[in-house]
Amino acid sequence: MVGITDYASYVPRYRLRRDLIAEQWGAKSLGGSKAVANFDEDALTQAFEAASRVIQRPELSDSVDALYFASTTSPYWQRAASSFIAAACDLREEIETLDFGGSLRAGTGALRSAVNAVSSGSNSKVLVTASDVREGAPESVEEQIFGDAAAALVVGRERILAELIDQASLASDFFDEWRRDRDRYVTSLTSRYTTERGYLANVVSVAQRVLKSADLKPEQITFVALSSPDGRAHRVAAKKIGFAPEKLVEVPLDDGGVTGTPLPFSLLCKALDLAKSGDFILVVSYGDGADALLFRVTDTKQPRPQTRDSLTLEVPSYGIYRRFRDFTRSAAEDGAVISNVMFEKEEKQNVRLYATRCMNCDTLQFPPTGVCVKCRNREGLQEVRLPRRGTIFTFTKDYLYAAPKLPTVLAVLELEEGARFYCQVTDIDPDKVKIGQNVELTLRRLKEGGGMHHYYWKCRPV
Amino acid sequence: MTESIKDRVAIIGVGCTKFGDNFDLSYEEMAAEAAFLALKDAGIEADQLGAAWLGTFSPGQGHGKASVSLADAIRLYNRPITRVENFCATGTDAFRNASMAVAAGIYDVVLVLGVEKLKDRPARGLASEGNHAYQHDGSTAPGIFALAATRYLEEFGIERDALAKVAVKNHYNGSLNPKAHFQMEVTEEQVLSAPMVAYPFGLFDCCPTTDGAAAAIICRADIAGRFRDDYVLVKGLGLSVTSGRPWFEPGYNYTGFQATSTAALEAYQMAGIKDPLKELDLAEVHDCFTWTELSNYEDLGFCKKGEGAHFVGEGRSSLEGDLPVNTSGGLKSSGHPIGASGVRMIYEITTQLRGGAGARQVRDPKLGLVHNLGGPGSVACVVILGQP
Repeated sequence: MVGITDYASYVPRYRLRRDLIAEQWGAKSLGGSKAVANFDEDALTQAFEAASRVIQRPELSDSVDALYFASTTSPYWQRAASSFIAAACDLREEIETLDFGGSLRAGTGALRSAVNAVSSGSNSKVLVTASDVREGAPESVEEQIFGDAAAALVVGRERILAELIDQASLASDFFDEWRRDRDRYVTSLTSRYTTERGYLANVVSVAQRVLKSADLKPEQITFVALSSPDGRAHRVAAKKIGFAPEKLVEVPLDDGGVTGTPLPFSLLCKALDLAKSGDFILVVSYGDGADALLFRVTDTKQPRPQTRDSLTLEVPSYGIYRRFRDFTRSAAEDGAVISNVMFEKEEKQNVRLYATRCMNCDTLQFPPTGVCVKCRNREGLQEVRLPRRGTIFTFTKDYLYAAPKLPTVLAVLELEEGARFYCQVTDIDPDKVKIGQNVELTLRRLKEGGGMHHYYWKCRPV
Repeated sequence: MTESIKDRVAIIGVGCTKFGDNFDLSYEEMAAEAAFLALKDAGIEADQLGAAWLGTFSPGQGHGKASVSLADAIRLYNRPITRVENFCATGTDAFRNASMAVAAGIYDVVLVLGVEKLKDRPARGLASEGNHAYQHDGSTAPGIFALAATRYLEEFGIERDALAKVAVKNHYNGSLNPKAHFQMEVTEEQVLSAPMVAYPFGLFDCCPTTDGAAAAIICRADIAGRFRDDYVLVKGLGLSVTSGRPWFEPGYNYTGFQATSTAALEAYQMAGIKDPLKELDLAEVHDCFTWTELSNYEDLGFCKKGEGAHFVGEGRSSLEGDLPVNTSGGLKSSGHPIGASGVRMIYEITTQLRGGAGARQVRDPKLGLVHNLGGPGSVACVVILGQP
């Protein structure tokens, strides 16, 4: 038996009201808000956030032997986001990392590959992430519809929550939605023909095939996690297949958006939150073809409370939203900031967040050192993982440091076990920062320099 | 410390350029102006200098990187010259090193020159010189001190108006100082409503970005009388260093600077000072930001930790107060051309001790203190000067 053993989804905290987009262009608003990545987020950092939620416990991170990253908006054409995410999660180096891309089906494709890898015995535990920060062209309908998100699933053999019992796949080279290597924005064709011949035809076909193969009827399926290109067509598809509308896991257009590769995962996560032992969950993704995956929920699955992140923030204007987007795409180079010698030398502290514990005086200190900061001891200094949660000890709000949104909040943190850390505070309204506030470390895009994207830790309120 | 420097070194000449937006002056031109003013003040020729020390923090456009910048500025060749750098304590540390060489009897008469040209660079503020690529990203000079100010304000229940009082006092004093960058008074209202720079510091809580140079000529105390009657004596010196990364230091309380306390202790011990508030007549302290001056009162022992706001609020550090602080207008009015600041402070105390400070003259001063603080409060240097 192979299936999903853990799962988490991630939605960025910023919301952009669609009215602000519509006002900008004098267009009709679709209402609600879309979830948008902060200027310091990208597909890689979102995937890290989702992954870190399932990697909390050391036993888990030590046993993961592959990490997959699926996205159509990876920050690099050449450089594996999966390798960097694995390092940020402090996974072992002796694992397989793999990036999947090219299609909105990349997520389910990665999931199917993970299942195959575990079934065949090649791997025992695969962490699959899917993440996208897609851009619809200014003034397009997609600009309103698209949202940003990520999700992570762990595939394994033990303590399975949902077993994969059947799957089907369909390939198609139909032109409906694409992005060339030279394009920043996704191109979407919208017409009744496009929806019918592309999305509907493929999704209906693949769903019917997998139901037939598993010898199940639509009425027997408890949850239908059906991807949607526009937040509406999935209802038409469901009707055609014969699913009652209440079985559909709702695509969060109103407070999220159509998110690309992570969408089927996010819908699956929602279904898993609500599912009970014996339930069937059908996941269908669409993008240059369609994938269908059929899960049965096991009795290992415990109810999980639906938590809502209440710390959302409003993007104040369309102009600021554009500035957020442009930061990750075209921020000025900061000059060469770090040689690869330095990067490698400091990888353990800057990426994996290792600190030193002095066995003589028990002080936990960062960055790692060969001489204890408190007692000058040089023997018995241990490398340990830095705790990633703590409180704000003090802070400032800087208006001098160039950033897409001023001021930049910088804080000294008192982390668990007494270590101190210093970093920017992100995903926060500067007026709300307080000494004593609870925060957790998060990986974010810091700046550009020397032709590289530079990532480092910031903290965000929890 | 095994020996005191007390009464072994004398200041026989000082010079100082106007501090300000010296756009049309080069590094070398300012260096020469300050040095030749000091030489004239001492009544000596450059040939009589046995050695020299140059304090510049940030070399730019080829100036200030090494000793040659002083040599070429005043054509002092074939002499031992050392460039000193110790963050914002550069100027006083140059003075300190020169004093120790003179006290040891290695050189008779030496020049200390502090020079800094900040306005030639394109970027605003001191920003990210020497920052780690990731670990200090986002740090600016105001931001670094603001971290301490935020914690201090919270812990002692102080509001921004206490900080504003420092700005008002120092701007008033600066208005009486022809060498100061800004010679304008400000009101508390102006300070509180100025644009924010790094919370809790607004524009008027921060010292300006400034060019300037200052110089001092020192000699062995036993020959000082040859040059002038009103020479000033070095009574004590102290320097102390703490961590350059206080934000990583487990348990650091962020409400004051131990480097200042330790440096002051050393200087007080050398000078034989037991009660600085009573025995000092004036002090030039490092007010890079208004809050820093409050901490300085406390760290230098003028009052207890947390009472700095009362000290300034009650007028005890104003020109007519118990212990006038920053009679020159401080860094607030003079600006902070880093390498020059410490030497400018020495210029001010020397001028005051000689009775030459005009409208800002303190009555009959005997002992004065200079305090210079660098990095994120990691390097402090204290010099005590007094009448023979």
